[in-house]
Amino acid sequence: MRPLRRFGKLSSALRVPLMVMLLMTVVSIVLSERVLTRLSQNQEAYLSGLAGSYLNSIAASVSPSVLRQDSWEIFDVLLRMKPQRAAIQPRETVITDVRGVILASDKPNIHPTLEQMDAEFRLEFAEGDMRLDAVSQLAFASRPISHNQEVIGKAYVVFDASSLLEERREVLLTLLLTNALLTILLAVIGFFVVRRMVLPMQILENHLQKAASGGLEAISDSEFPRAGSEAKRIFGAFNHLVSAEKDKEELVDRLTKEERLATLGRIASGMAHEINNPLGGLLNVTDTLKKHGHKKKVRLEGIELIKRGLLGIRDVVQAALVTYRPERSSRVFTFKDLADISLLLRPDLKSRAQELKILSSPSIKVFDGLPAGPVRQAIMNLVLNASSASPNGTEIVLSINQTKEALYLEVKDAGEGLPDAAGEILTAPIKSGIPDGMSGLGLWVVRQIADELGATLSAKPNNPKGTIIAMIIPRRPLEVLHAAA
Amino acid sequence: MPSSNEKMFKNRRAFMLSMATLLLAPSNALSQSQITTTIRFGLTPVFLNDDIQLLTVIKNYLESATGYTIELTTRRTYQEVTSLLVSGQLDAAWICGYPFVKFQNELEILAVPEWNGKPLYQSYLITKSDRKASKLADLKGDIHAFSDPDSNSGYLVTKALLQENGLSSDAFFKKALFTYSHRNVIRAVASGLVQSGSVDGYVWEVMREFDPGLVASTKIVRKSAWFGFPPIAVSKRFAQTEQVSALRRAFLASRETESGRAMLDYLRLSGFVDAKPSLYDSVKRNIDRLGGLL
Repeated sequence: MRPLRRFGKLSSALRVPLMVMLLMTVVSIVLSERVLTRLSQNQEAYLSGLAGSYLNSIAASVSPSVLRQDSWEIFDVLLRMKPQRAAIQPRETVITDVRGVILASDKPNIHPTLEQMDAEFRLEFAEGDMRLDAVSQLAFASRPISHNQEVIGKAYVVFDASSLLEERREVLLTLLLTNALLTILLAVIGFFVVRRMVLPMQILENHLQKAASGGLEAISDSEFPRAGSEAKRIFGAFNHLVSAEKDKEELVDRLTKEERLATLGRIASGMAHEINNPLGGLLNVTDTLKKHGHKKKVRLEGIELIKRGLLGIRDVVQAALVTYRPERSSRVFTFKDLADISLLLRPDLKSRAQELKILSSPSIKVFDGLPAGPVRQAIMNLVLNASSASPNGTEIVLSINQTKEALYLEVKDAGEGLPDAAGEILTAPIKSGIPDGMSGLGLWVVRQIADELGATLSAKPNNPKGTIIAMIIPRRPLEVLHAAA
Repeated sequence: MPSSNEKMFKNRRAFMLSMATLLLAPSNALSQSQITTTIRFGLTPVFLNDDIQLLTVIKNYLESATGYTIELTTRRTYQEVTSLLVSGQLDAAWICGYPFVKFQNELEILAVPEWNGKPLYQSYLITKSDRKASKLADLKGDIHAFSDPDSNSGYLVTKALLQENGLSSDAFFKKALFTYSHRNVIRAVASGLVQSGSVDGYVWEVMREFDPGLVASTKIVRKSAWFGFPPIAVSKRFAQTEQVSALRRAFLASRETESGRAMLDYLRLSGFVDAKPSLYDSVKRNIDRLGGLL
C-alpha cells in the first residue's frame, strides 16, 4: 500500500506519464504472451502435422515388411526414409509388432531387434497425440500400422524438436527485446508528450497551492503556453481571479486600518472620559492653589495632586499612542502591555458595567519572543468582542499562559455563544473574505494578525454560558521579530 | 526363418524357372534374331550393383570392347537374374557359383574373374568389431544376416558349416534374415540390427577400401575355405551366338586395354580367365551335403 500511497502523492505531471508507461508495459506484456501462445500452438500443430505425415509414410512403407516380419527391409526403409534436411529430425524410429516386440529400429543399439520394447520408453508416448517435452526438447509420436484394417504393428518416432524450441526461444527473445525497446521508446515519448500536456495544469496547480498558503500570484507571461488556447483561457481566467482577489485584499487592508481607527475612536472616547476626570480634579487644584497657594502644605499637596493627575493622563495618552502606531514599536510584549489594555478598555467595559479579569500564570516573569503591537491589538479585539457579546454586568476573563514554544491566550465571555459565521472567520482553513457589513470585522482582524504571527485560533463553548476563544502564538527569536519590525 | 521357408523357396524357384523357360523361350528366340546390336548383360547383387558409377564403367568397357550396345540388367535377388538368364532373356550374367552349379545343365561358363591373381574367394562370418567373438560357437543365439538364399558365400557356406557341426541355422540362430546384398549384410551387422552375418569375403575386402567407416564396425569371426569366384555365365542354348563370343573375348582381354584395366581397377580384380565347371566342385559338395535341407 505504501508505494501506492507514495505514487498517489506524486504530481500529476509525473503520475499521468508514469501511468501511460505502465499501461504500455502491460499492453506489451499481454501482446507478447498472446504472440508466444499462438506461436507455440502453431509450432505444435506444425510439428504434429510433420510427425503425422512422417508416421503415415513410414507405416505405409513398412506395412508389407511388418506383415512378413522382415527386420532388414524395415530397417532399410527407415534409413532411406529419414529426412536429411527437415526442420525437425526423427531421432529414433521403432517399429514393433502387435505384441510390442521390436521388429526393427533405426537405432538397433538402443532398441535391439526382436526384444520387447522398453516399458519406460513406451510410456513417453501419449495415446493418439503427439507429446512435446520441452525439457528434453523431444517430441514423441506413435501410430498403429494396419493391413486390411487389422493392426499388425506400431510405429514409434522420437523427434528432435530442439530447432523448433530454439526458434521459439529466439522469437521470445526478439519479441521481448523489440517490445522492451519499443515500450521504453514509446513510454519515454509518452512521458514527455503527456508531461508537456499536463504542464499548464501543473503551473496552475502550483499557483493555486501558493494561493492557498497566502502567496496569491498571477501567472507570468513567460509561463503562458505558446499554443493551446484552452490552457491560455484557463490561465487568463486565473489571472483575472488573482487580480480581483488582490483588489479585494487591498480593500480589506483599507478596512482593517479603518477598523483600527474605529477601535481607536472607541478607545479615544473612553480615554477622554479618563482624562476628563483628572482634568476636573486638576482644575479644582489650580483653583485651590490660586486661593491658598501661599500655604506651603496646601501648595505641596496641590502639586502632588497635579502630578498624579498628569501622570494618569500621560499613561492614557501613551497607551493610546502605542495602540495606534504599533508598527513603530519593535519591542516585545510585556506586562505593561497587559496593564495598558486594561486601562484602555476600562471605559468601554465600565459603560456596560463589565469587568475584565486578567489571569496570568504566576510562573510568568516576562513575555519573550512576542511582538507587542499585534499581540496587543489581537487581545484588545478579542476582549472587545467578548464585551459586546456579553450582557451588562458580567465578567470577561483573559487567561495567559506561556511555555517555551508558545503563548496561550484565552478569552472567556458569558454571551449567547459565537455565531457560526464568526467562528468560521477565526478557524476556517482558508481565510475567508471580508465579512458582510462591519459586524465581526474585529475578529477578522484577529485572524489577520494570527495568520501573520503563525498563530492558531480555536473557539469552544464556555460553561455554563458563552464562548472561549483561544489563541496559541508561537514564540520566535528576538532577531526575527526585530527583522520583521 | 530360412529353414521354415526353405521348402517354399525351393518350390517357388523351381516353379518360376519352369514357367519362365516355358513361356519366354519362344519370344526369346524371336528377339535373338531381331536384336543383334544389343547384348543383354545381367548383374546379380553378388556385386556392388547399387554403384551406378561401377555399372557405367562396366558398360563403357564392354561396349567399346564388343562393339555392341550393352543393356545392363540388375534385379533384387539372385533368383530373378538366374531365371532371366536360364530363360534366355539375358545373353550373359554375372551370377554366383551356387546358382551356376544348380543350373549347370542349362548354363556354361563364359569367364571367371581373378582376385589377387586367383579365380577364388572366401565366405566370411562377421560380427560387430567391439564384440568378443572368435569362433562359430560364439555366434549362437544371434540374429544372423544372410545375403541371399541363392548365394554361396552369403548363405550356403554357413549353412554347410552348421550342418558339418551337426547344427541347423534355425536352432543355432535366434533368427536369420536375408538382406539380398552382401553390402547390406555388412550394414546390418555394423548398425547392430543383427549380431552377425555371412558375407562374400571379396565384397567385404573391397568395401573396406570403398567405405572404411562402415566396414571398420565389423570384424571377421571366421574365414571359409576357398571357392570358385562367382562366374559370368551364359545359357547353353545361346552360347554360340556372335554377341556371346564378343563378350567372352572382351572379358578375357580386359587386361589388354586401358578401359578394361580401368574396369578391373574399379572392381579390384586382376583379370578374367576361362575356367572349367570343376572350379565349383567344392560348392557342389556343399549342396550335396545339405541335400534336401536347402
